Amino acid sequence: MPKAEPSRETGEGSGSGRRRFETRILAGGTEPDPRFTLANERTFLAWIRTSLAMLAGGIAVEAFTTDIFAPDIRKTIAVLLLSLALIIGGGSFFRWLNIERAMRHKAPLPLPAIAPVLAAGGAIVALVFIAFVLMRQA
Amino acid sequence: MRSPKDHETSQLHVDAGLQPERTDLAWIRTTLALVVVGAIFLRWVPHYGWFAGALVAAATMISITINMTRKHRFHRGSLGIRNERMPADLISTFFVASSVVVLAAAGVFTVLFLPLQ
Repeated sequence: MPKAEPSRETGEGSGSGRRRFETRILAGGTEPDPRFTLANERTFLAWIRTSLAMLAGGIAVEAFTTDIFAPDIRKTIAVLLLSLALIIGGGSFFRWLNIERAMRHKAPLPLPAIAPVLAAGGAIVALVFIAFVLMRQA
Repeated sequence: MRSPKDHETSQLHVDAGLQPERTDLAWIRTTLALVVVGAIFLRWVPHYGWFAGALVAAATMISITINMTRKHRFHRGSLGIRNERMPADLISTFFVASSVVVLAAAGVFTVLFLPLQ
């Protein structure tokens, strides 16, 4: 199997300013097993898709419920979902970064701070939705 | 310079866990989610005008950018597994996360501050 020098094989410029910048952001340490790096990337993408689902939900509430909810109610639910998408989307990057840093230092992996945010946010949106639906029927 | 054949062999790896392929599929699913978001944004165009149109274009462009760089990431993953060494993809993750944050912030701005047409 052909094998080139490591700097070229990684597809990055060897010793370039970009690599140094990346290493500084990743807080030094040594590169973990590539399988773990890829697993971290997939977990990050799963969080991003969760954020995108919230985003799509927020847009859909604003677009499709004009005949069901009053404007204030509609805007409240839409803004809640869109804000949740914003927090999860931003938080997913820091989660990815913190995991990568922990793996580079062979430290225990940090707990996901965005998981309780997602659970609480989802529950709040569902409760607000239920309250508005019940109010509408009353 | 690498010949096309070198490039083909560089795509080969020995990971029975098929990590590069699974990661590639995760990226594809993300682009599909972005297309869905763009498609739902289309429903805002009659109500919020050109700004909603810009959001549709932005979601589509982000999706296309991810798709166009897919091959590079797969190649990187394969080589990483083969060499047991791979730097984390800081730029791709930051690009996607910041794009989603900007789209969500623009959505909040639209709902709160733009008048319905």
